[in-house]
Amino acid sequence: MYSGRRVGYLIAAAVIALLPLIFQDSYWRTNLTVCAITVMLAIGLDFILGYAGQLNLGHCAFYGIGAYASTLLITRLGVPFWIAFACAIALAGAAGMALAMFAVRLRGHYLAIASLAFAVIVHQVLLNWISLTQGPLGIYGIRPPPPIALPGLPVISFANAGNMFYLVAGFALLFYFLLDQILRSPIGEALTAIREDEVSAASFGINCAGWKVFAFGIGSAVAGAAGAFYASLVGTLVPDAFIITESFTILAMVIVGGMGTLLGPVCGAILLTVLPELLRGFGDLRLVLYGAALTLVVLFMPGGMAQAARLIRPRLPGVRAKLLHDRAA
Amino acid sequence: MLAVAVQQAINGVVFGSLYVLVALGLTLIYGVLVQINFAHADIVTIGAFAAYFFTYTLGGNYVASIGVALLIGAALGWLINASIFAPLRERGSELLPLIATIGVSVLLQNAMLLWFGPIPYSFDSPYSNQVIRLPGGTFITLQNLIIIAVSTVTIALLYGFMRFTFMGKALRAVAQDRETAGLMGINPNALIMLTFVIASALAGMGGAMLGPILVLTPFAGTSVIVKAFAIVIIGGFGNVAGTIIAGLLVGLIESYTTQFINPGLTDIVVFTLLLAVLALRPTGLIAEKREENV
Amino acid sequence: MTVLPEIAAAPAEPLFRAEGLHKRFGGVHAVRDLSLTISRAAIFAIIGPNGAGKSTLLNLMSGLYAPDAGRMTFDGRDLSAMPAHRRARLGLARTFQKIRLFRHLSVLANVVAALHIHHAIPAWQYVFHGRAFARDHARAREQAMKLLAFVGLEQRAAALAASLPYGEQRMLELARALATAPRLLLVDEPAAGLNAAEVERLIERIRLLRERGMTVIVVEHNMDLVMEIADRVLVMDYGQYLFEGIPAEVQANPAVIAAYLGA
Repeated sequence: MYSGRRVGYLIAAAVIALLPLIFQDSYWRTNLTVCAITVMLAIGLDFILGYAGQLNLGHCAFYGIGAYASTLLITRLGVPFWIAFACAIALAGAAGMALAMFAVRLRGHYLAIASLAFAVIVHQVLLNWISLTQGPLGIYGIRPPPPIALPGLPVISFANAGNMFYLVAGFALLFYFLLDQILRSPIGEALTAIREDEVSAASFGINCAGWKVFAFGIGSAVAGAAGAFYASLVGTLVPDAFIITESFTILAMVIVGGMGTLLGPVCGAILLTVLPELLRGFGDLRLVLYGAALTLVVLFMPGGMAQAARLIRPRLPGVRAKLLHDRAA
Repeated sequence: MLAVAVQQAINGVVFGSLYVLVALGLTLIYGVLVQINFAHADIVTIGAFAAYFFTYTLGGNYVASIGVALLIGAALGWLINASIFAPLRERGSELLPLIATIGVSVLLQNAMLLWFGPIPYSFDSPYSNQVIRLPGGTFITLQNLIIIAVSTVTIALLYGFMRFTFMGKALRAVAQDRETAGLMGINPNALIMLTFVIASALAGMGGAMLGPILVLTPFAGTSVIVKAFAIVIIGGFGNVAGTIIAGLLVGLIESYTTQFINPGLTDIVVFTLLLAVLALRPTGLIAEKREENV
Repeated sequence: MTVLPEIAAAPAEPLFRAEGLHKRFGGVHAVRDLSLTISRAAIFAIIGPNGAGKSTLLNLMSGLYAPDAGRMTFDGRDLSAMPAHRRARLGLARTFQKIRLFRHLSVLANVVAALHIHHAIPAWQYVFHGRAFARDHARAREQAMKLLAFVGLEQRAAALAASLPYGEQRMLELARALATAPRLLLVDEPAAGLNAAEVERLIERIRLLRERGMTVIVVEHNMDLVMEIADRVLVMDYGQYLFEGIPAEVQANPAVIAAYLGA
């Protein structure tokens, strides 16, 4: 890894380490954890949309599947947290691949509608399968991940908002690293080729259907992880947390940040999560702002914040990827 | 039992014809632009609220309010095309306009939420409670009858317009091949705008008629639009006759599911049908129906 | 692996064979009962008036369309139900009539993307980039530069693909198709929009490919080009076989002349 990126990761780790020291109250620490969860959702969607070029409007469904899967495994079957976590990731990823396999031959708009339909179906199932999910009443009393006891150190409890933030943000950074590495490999080249032009990509031996399924699987798996963390953070789980508007919110973050740049959506997620909190009193305007931001960005700066950054500082290290990941302004 | 079945059929036709109005707008736009206007739903909602305020706050005639909603819908259609689709057309991106309209939809819905609040408005038209008894123990409210009548007339007029008038043929020409249509002296941009205006007028009108029979909240349009998408796909994007049939079908399926299975499952049934249709008639990478120039 | 592999002296058996191909679109019979045989290390041209079905034939061969009837074999392997991306791995590459470059990527990145089937990296190194990854990465770039040099674009490696003038874009298309190291190359109207000098360069390169043992099928309208480089010519009309022979025979054939002038 070249030194610019290594520095970038170190800075990110340092920022994560420092944040709970700056924000000592649990309200803000919880917000930061929510922010980390949305970052996970955003990079998962960018993998599918920004790199493979698939307009997936059903991302919230995999978020929900992850949340409910891990919670039900823990509360109903007594499965230990981390095993349930792994299962949630696997299940969400599998669901993503199933949707992709179904939709693999569908063109842009049809895929968008199919993914939308899928998300609505999942939400309705969560709402109506009362014996499984308790429907709109929800599931209560979900506990945070179990404390970790390392020899010689005090027990790390995740009921502590600061520790929870470290855990979730740490995973977000890990997922970012993994996705980034994959995207900088020939797999990333294949996905980009598919996004740019599937027909010629196929003529180079790229199995477009297979890689699309792969992209959906990875992106949805990360969403599933986000869901598992969400459930254990918030403590209660209701189906309405995963309505279709959630997909649009994440979409807004990806677009505003700059799709296809991975780092852009991170910034978009942070901006759109933190901004409404800062503009307290405008809380109800949150979604209005998202809608306005999404529309305006698409109309006037479709490359999002990443495009803006490139205009200001053409040599932004770390954001500026190698030749292969260049996007025209 | 039969009476119930027939009653549900009547309800199905009522809702179905409204879904058709909304879906026709979507399919017309797609036929001509190959784009989806996600904010179509909110035009329906705005139409409903416009009719509500015209009737209650301004004390206007309900039937006239349908016309008002139509005009407001038309104006919104003009605005959305002019500000979003026309500028983005130059860029030639397939998915960006869709994403932009998602933004507009989220914006409008939540702005309405702030303005009107989440509590449903009780919108009773003067005809909501007048009931006409039909043979076999079934009945239909006058409101529903008006809905069926207005929808049928509108749909028939639209169909006739598309098939038999010059404008209609020009629209279909633009849908098939924009460049050549342009070369033949048809102004594609003007026609696309006309399509948008007609489509959105239909949506506004649909909203005004839906107001009294649906729960009127800022999300009223959304509940309709998702079914409208299903209808457009089942009937075939751009296919007017298919949309009409599919719309009535979905309306009927919905009523029967509500009555005989479980009201909570209507969305699941309709959407599973949508996915089934997509599975059986996928569009390939290169549409092999017509030879595409690679 | 070299850029332009010396294709070993091959058996006498034809490289590609099609029998009875049919393709309809709605009511239009784009290709009707077409058979052909392509021998190795040759340049085979397909010509015909507009709408003759030439591009459809290429699309059938490369796997973009599935034939309604008929069979195709490539080097003895049956191509039925083999999707386009698998045919590329077999050694069948193509360019497109409409330029399909990855517009947002650089020229170099375009060629590197086309080298997809040649990567040799253990699976875990796609995530944790080790030495094999680095070697493969360097090798791919080196390969891509050689291909760009072959088409004369090595100076433009860093440029954005969309910024190239039309003639250079066409050469980039060629470079990408060669990246898969094909034994059979299908070229769809390579000379369209090129000026005389560019056409000369193109002819040179296609000849070079043949010398290296590659088989090239060229669909073209430019008669001078066809007559100059083709070993054999197939003439199509209305989706059907009209005539096949060496260029001189084709030029003299009355049915061919009628098809071009008559319609």
